[in-house]
Amino acid sequence: MKLIRSYPTASKHRGKTAALLAAAILGAAFLACCRPAQKPAAGAPRGRQIVIGVSLLNLSSEFIVMLDQAMETRAAELGVKLIVNDAQRDAARQVQQAENFIAQRVDAIILNPCEVDGSSPAVEKARAAGIPVVNVNSETRATPTAFVGSHDEESGRIAMNYIAQRLGGKGNIVMIQGFLGQAAQIERAQGAREVLAKNPGLHLIADQTADWDRAKAMSLMENWIQSYGGKINAVFAQNDEMGIGALHALEQAHLKDKVPVVGIDAIAEALQMVKAGRLDATVFQDARAQGSTAVDVACRIVRGQPYDKQAFIPFRLVTTANIGEFAR
Amino acid sequence: MENPATVSLMHRYRRIAGPYMLVIALVAIGAILAVLNPRFLAPANLVNVIRQISINGILAIGVTYVLLTGGVDLSLGSVAALAGVFAASLAHPGAAPLAAAVLAGIFAGSGCGLVNGIVVTRGRVPSFIATLGMMTAARGLALVVSQGRPVTGLSPGFAQIAAGDCLGIPYPVLILVAVAALSHVFLRHVWAGRYIYAVGGNENAARASGIDVDRVKLLAYVACGAAAGLGGVVLASRITAGQPNAAFGYELDAIAAAVIGGTSLSGGVGTVSGTLLGALLIGEINNGLDLLNVSSYYQQIAKGLIIVGAVCAQQRARK
Repeated sequence: MKLIRSYPTASKHRGKTAALLAAAILGAAFLACCRPAQKPAAGAPRGRQIVIGVSLLNLSSEFIVMLDQAMETRAAELGVKLIVNDAQRDAARQVQQAENFIAQRVDAIILNPCEVDGSSPAVEKARAAGIPVVNVNSETRATPTAFVGSHDEESGRIAMNYIAQRLGGKGNIVMIQGFLGQAAQIERAQGAREVLAKNPGLHLIADQTADWDRAKAMSLMENWIQSYGGKINAVFAQNDEMGIGALHALEQAHLKDKVPVVGIDAIAEALQMVKAGRLDATVFQDARAQGSTAVDVACRIVRGQPYDKQAFIPFRLVTTANIGEFAR
Repeated sequence: MENPATVSLMHRYRRIAGPYMLVIALVAIGAILAVLNPRFLAPANLVNVIRQISINGILAIGVTYVLLTGGVDLSLGSVAALAGVFAASLAHPGAAPLAAAVLAGIFAGSGCGLVNGIVVTRGRVPSFIATLGMMTAARGLALVVSQGRPVTGLSPGFAQIAAGDCLGIPYPVLILVAVAALSHVFLRHVWAGRYIYAVGGNENAARASGIDVDRVKLLAYVACGAAAGLGGVVLASRITAGQPNAAFGYELDAIAAAVIGGTSLSGGVGTVSGTLLGALLIGEINNGLDLLNVSSYYQQIAKGLIIVGAVCAQQRARK
């Protein structure tokens, strides 16, 4: 099976937008001419390999790389061809990629949305062109044909519940937020706040964004240690990168023993740190199950088989107690 | 007609006013922060601030070289990330001597700077475009080298570069001070450094007086790349990982520090001490707003206003 990957660079992209557009139009025209020779695209394309266009949020994020690998593995098993594009966090680029997929008349599109609103035109345009769309990992305002992913609120709830339990329902918490305005940040914060509302003994004494970035979270934690010192009883970071940053800051201030740190995502490094007893907990978001289920659902839609419109992959808390199931 | 003595006095006032205004701003903002939260002035927090500015400071001094020639370097952040990945790849316990890992990072940075310089001088490509290309390419290369994953499992020795200290002064601060001192002496007292000012001040005049303008520019880009490389090594040590997507947007913080410090974007004007003060001001604001727990939304507005305000105040003092 051949995989076509493209990593459009910003400068190349801007410089050659016109050329790309022209190529896309020509390609669409060419395909349109060829169409009558083939069977109609709708329905099960028997005897022809299924082609799925994939537009990913950002291939420089470890989680998305895992998602991508799971999709490619599952596609290879099913004999499906994937065309993988990297939107590099840019919703406008993601919409362009969807337009290119429509021009190529792919059988289905798997969209890993950059933004709730910004990426919606990608879903709308594809569906208007009669191409099914499966959203994976996060949501868009526009309704896709199917959704595969997890409820981010759940991860925030799981993480904060763990903290509540560790602190016996009493103590001061700081929260390190992701990139403000992104679906994951909004929902993880919401889940965490739900738990805080139920535990009057828990106080959120500070919360700031560190843009999902480890170095920024480390500086932020250092600053909080200066202003709150021993008053902080636990740290909730909305992803592991930031959790690890906070962990380094606490370790260097010799405060880690007293302050549990919890992250989300269960990236490889975080799992190693849980195993080593440095990070207290993380929340496992199952990239493999999300990726392979997305490919499964897309194939079922194309083949006209029954499928779940909403496939939820549950989150799981990872601590030293069950780390063996996760860390290799 | 004005009295020549008054003119000379005004002139002297103006010469010192630029950096002086910055010190005033630094002290004034510091005083406000100290009133709002007395912990701001705690010695531990002051050490904390200078440790946090050290990476931006190193990058800002590097970009000062390029800004002085009248160019700009947008690739700093990506180059720092690439250097961090290279250094981290050699920093696994027992993989290579510590010095090799550090040098690999600095060489990777210098190499990118060299390419930037060649494209600008030989290719006659505007520095904005040349370094924009490098910004994307270096980030891509960092992702290729690391296969999109952070390089982890670094030796304790490598982690000490950012975490260790000497008599209470963190190593990154010592590194910053060394880079600043070297750059100050080089730009002020070494002929090649003085040529950088000459080229940025008036390129044609510099060429007419026999200066090899291209070679001077090349030198500035290599110095900037080396600083980005060194900054990347310190960053990788600080976060104990070579992360291909680290240092995102650091070039803008570095340029902001240099410009706040009085470096002109059109070249020929600027000092290392000014750049250091600029970095210090940005670090002070970041730290202070965190200490006061100002909402993340307002922090961004406040930072923007203070940066533009600082530059405005300086421009007025200069005129």
